[in-house]
Amino acid sequence: MSVTSIPSAVEVVTAFFDAYREHDVERMVELCTDNADFHYVPFELWGKQRVIRGDGKVRTIGKVIWTTLIDSFPDITNKIMYITADNEGNVAAEVMISGTQAKPFGTMGNQGLHYDLPHVFLFRINREGLIEEITGYWDTADWYRQLGRLEVD
Amino acid sequence: MNSMDVARTFFARMDTHDTSGALALVAPHTNVALVPLNLQGDAENVGRQYFEQLMSAFPDLSVRVRRLFVGNDNTAVAEIAIEGTQAADFFGIINQEKLMDIDQVWFLHVNDGVIDRIKAYWCQNRLYRRLGVKRLDHVTITA
Repeated sequence: MSVTSIPSAVEVVTAFFDAYREHDVERMVELCTDNADFHYVPFELWGKQRVIRGDGKVRTIGKVIWTTLIDSFPDITNKIMYITADNEGNVAAEVMISGTQAKPFGTMGNQGLHYDLPHVFLFRINREGLIEEITGYWDTADWYRQLGRLEVD
Repeated sequence: MNSMDVARTFFARMDTHDTSGALALVAPHTNVALVPLNLQGDAENVGRQYFEQLMSAFPDLSVRVRRLFVGNDNTAVAEIAIEGTQAADFFGIINQEKLMDIDQVWFLHVNDGVIDRIKAYWCQNRLYRRLGVKRLDHVTITA
């Protein structure tokens, strides 16, 4: 008889960033529930008619954003700088995300520049060891400066 | 007070603009890192400077805790929403009397009921956008 143990919340989040580092978006999504919520708080793309926000579900908005990021920054990588968790499935991680731009990303034209940007991610992990919510924070102004963009909008 | 109560009290005092009360929960030489402002130093200098400028620039500031948990290392992790109308310059951003609403994450490490490490993250670009800043290389120029 085989026994499958449920990974700890920290192990789940570590596996998520391992998959991200390997550019394995399918694995990132597999670590989440089918209906997992996704919030990239600073993500606002201002168009003429509407604002597109990084709010929705992992399997729709999240997957598209991760795939597009990896396409625009083909060497994108991450390093967990700090991680903490409680016993209720809450996890917070400070993560350095780095990459070199190879294609435009949203309104950010490609100047071939490299960035290292501190992020905070908040996760909710359920009892089955799956991510049911991801919330991300970073400073887009810092990101813009490093990629050579100086317009706020 | 346990770590959860310390964190709740800290943000409740921010909400009532009680800077001294909030800092009374913090050891004086606590390292404060405000990542988007690239500011780091002890609570009595960097912490007080940030809170006093914030309260002065946004006299109607409100602070709401959206999510709060305490990690097993006694770090309180808080997702908060701050909102206010600008009434004075703020860290070089000229006052145009605009409303801002910003979500932030704060890490407060608590030891024996006292905060002894603070780190905060938010998107400064979103703050610039809300306050009418047009260029990152000329934060004080708004048109």
